[in-house]
Amino acid sequence: MDSIAQRREEILAKKAKLAELKKQRELRRAEGSNRQSLSGSPAREILSPTPRRNDVEQRRDLDKYLDDILGDSRPSSVQPGSPAGGRATRPTSVISASQLSSDNEAQAGTGAQYQIPTSMVDQGIQTLSIGNLTTVYESEGVDVGPPPKRDTEVITYSKGVQADIDWSPRKTRGSGESDIERDESPTRSPRTPKRMSRRQKERDEEIRLQLKKEIEEEIKAAQKAAEAGEVQTVSGENYPFKTLSNEELTAVENSDDFIDFVERSTKVLERALDQQLDYDILADYALGGASVDDEDEGYGSSGGKKGRRIKEIAQFWDERWSKKRMISDLGFSTKFPELVLASYTKNPSAPHDPDGLIQVWNLHMHDRPEYIFHAQSDILTAKFSPFHPNLIIGGAYSGQVLLWDTRAKSSPVQKTPLTGSGHTHPVYSIDIVGTQNANNIISASTDGVVCGWTVDMLSQPQEFLELTSPPPAKTDDMAVTCIAFPQSDPTYFLAGTEEGSIYPCHRYDRAGAKAGVDGRVKYGGHAAPVMSLDFHPAKGQIDLGDLVLSSSVDWSVKLWKVRPPAATGPSNTAAPGAAQQVTPILDIAREDLVYDARWSPVKPSVFGLVDGAGSLEIWDLNVDVEVPVQKVTPSENKRGALSGGMGFMKRSLNKLAWEKNEGRRVAVAGMDGVVTVFEVGSDLGGVETKGEEWSGVKRLVGRLEGSHEGVNGR
Amino acid sequence: MAEKTSDETLAHLTRISQKPGVQSTLILSRENGAIVRTSGLISNSTSANPNSALPASNDATPDNYTNGKKEGGIQNAEDVASKVWSFLTAAGALVDGLYEEDEVKLLRLRTKKNELVIIPDTKFILVLVHDTPPA
Repeated sequence: MDSIAQRREEILAKKAKLAELKKQRELRRAEGSNRQSLSGSPAREILSPTPRRNDVEQRRDLDKYLDDILGDSRPSSVQPGSPAGGRATRPTSVISASQLSSDNEAQAGTGAQYQIPTSMVDQGIQTLSIGNLTTVYESEGVDVGPPPKRDTEVITYSKGVQADIDWSPRKTRGSGESDIERDESPTRSPRTPKRMSRRQKERDEEIRLQLKKEIEEEIKAAQKAAEAGEVQTVSGENYPFKTLSNEELTAVENSDDFIDFVERSTKVLERALDQQLDYDILADYALGGASVDDEDEGYGSSGGKKGRRIKEIAQFWDERWSKKRMISDLGFSTKFPELVLASYTKNPSAPHDPDGLIQVWNLHMHDRPEYIFHAQSDILTAKFSPFHPNLIIGGAYSGQVLLWDTRAKSSPVQKTPLTGSGHTHPVYSIDIVGTQNANNIISASTDGVVCGWTVDMLSQPQEFLELTSPPPAKTDDMAVTCIAFPQSDPTYFLAGTEEGSIYPCHRYDRAGAKAGVDGRVKYGGHAAPVMSLDFHPAKGQIDLGDLVLSSSVDWSVKLWKVRPPAATGPSNTAAPGAAQQVTPILDIAREDLVYDARWSPVKPSVFGLVDGAGSLEIWDLNVDVEVPVQKVTPSENKRGALSGGMGFMKRSLNKLAWEKNEGRRVAVAGMDGVVTVFEVGSDLGGVETKGEEWSGVKRLVGRLEGSHEGVNGR
Repeated sequence: MAEKTSDETLAHLTRISQKPGVQSTLILSRENGAIVRTSGLISNSTSANPNSALPASNDATPDNYTNGKKEGGIQNAEDVASKVWSFLTAAGALVDGLYEEDEVKLLRLRTKKNELVIIPDTKFILVLVHDTPPA
């Protein structure tokens, strides 16, 4: 019976507080709507969370009171938690949370003020308060009419929050509910009116029931109104959200924040989805091992010994960007071995798209490039800087050398000027040589100009070298198709030409030779333009750094043993002027144009080549010098990438690149714009190499050299 | 040309929502929980939903609808949103409680049939629901 009086009193107090809160809220709402109408952009609105959140807090309070009134016994967990708990973990929310709590404090203060008088009246003359009760209530009912949806929203939200309150220690409870305690503690002990008539009790009961009913009705009405007017779920589970109007929506969607967010988050999603396909971490091997069996068959079907298998693991093609473009170069990142770069020529049917394109693909994200870079002219060659993981260098058809940064936007961060001191012809070959702290970009164009650049300054070349054909040639200019630097010496390089010869060149004057083409030695053998040159990576016990692989559209790949640059001088003094012709130590004839041939970065005897028929061949010189150990063709399943028009040429593969760190992956690409990545078995890739592999190559070279000297009679 | 337009970015979303196995996607505003984009979800009060803003994001829906149905009916966007919201709140509280100055970056929730991927960011939250491959 005491509880009834107590309850009534509480109810009264809460009514008063309710009214006060309502008033405040109305005010605030007026303010809020002003603000909303003023700031047209919802983005800004989203940016300013504090007012909204205050609202929420307040509403939460309100609800609590409603709950209190409604419930017979107050559930212990009704109190809303610390304001920060409802929000996520951003630093900003911390700030606003503190703001919030101070706000609540103030609120609590006003609440308390209100209570004191009411309870005093109440205590004195209890029966009088009945009339009061109803009127307060009714005025409230009118009040509640307009803002109903907000109320309902909050009800459920605070429920959500209750969950974490249960777990949080008592002391962390926000100031929000402390006022409940406050008005409870004084009321409980002093007021236990033992002599309360039965009649009174009944009346109290009546009042309470009435109140309850009315409030329930009110809430129902509010909910209905909410459903009609606003997007609301009927389900009790709800949370504070608003519906964006069309204008707000478009504004949000056009905001940079949103675009950035979508860009970033969809990448994460794609990786998450693709990763799923590779391996299911929840796999239970006790439940049928069908997939494992499949794997085994995969091994068998790729043919040959297990260690020499080769398996296609990914294909990259983008509807929007890859279409009708040919791939001009490929490269793996040294820092992030899962990233593959591909440069593209222009799409002739899309004049408004940039001509030059580089896409950086991620092996963990199959359907879309990690980065896209543009240029105004077709990009003919590009690679990751080995010295800086963020930088990509490229050469363009316009003769420009370009530099992109993965931290920047898609246009180049630096490029050489179109006219003047640099290249005026297409740049088909580019490289970065030197060391971590001192490196240069070296670029070569088809008119024989070789330029050296510093990465920091592309406005003019640091070195400028014009290669000219040595005397017997008919033309002066040397049409350079490719250059290659040996691992050990950044001052000396080989240049392959359109006419088929390969010439050694010096970047600087040195003893016995001027800068430029060293006319005394000529590596002759190819009958058509040289498409690629590659020095042996030579990272093993035996130095094989003088072995060079060249490919040509004369349907052959040739293996050369290059004279050390210092030795060219003395050996040649006998016959000055006459170029000494060096022949290849091994000539491998193929069945089609060979566009690219590259040494494996780890296995001394392994190299890969791609040809005009569209196949990738992996060779192991220790196994066989006449047939490849593996020959595969990229699968055709990557869409109908080839939209016809190119006929038989469409399958041709232009470029090949090995993953540099482990040598397990080979990327190939060509005319159809599709990048295909293969994984090779442990005999053809992987870091561990046996000593005999190195000595095997050494022996082979010795044998080949011997037989050639016999043939040449030298 | 180099600038990203919203069309282009949304194309990414559309493509993801059309991937095999993907049932639905949802973008919420972090601050007020407003639904910015959905796919493969219905909103149960379409009339109140101003002018197609909410679900119109893509036309992948026929596919996704069947997909969703298989897995037990299409869910409504508000429902998913509110549940994700409270889940994220709980996760945030957990991280807050354990490590100061830290924040939730990614939530992946595997169920028997589905996986939810939730990416909370400063201003938005991206949610994706997809079938998990049969284990």
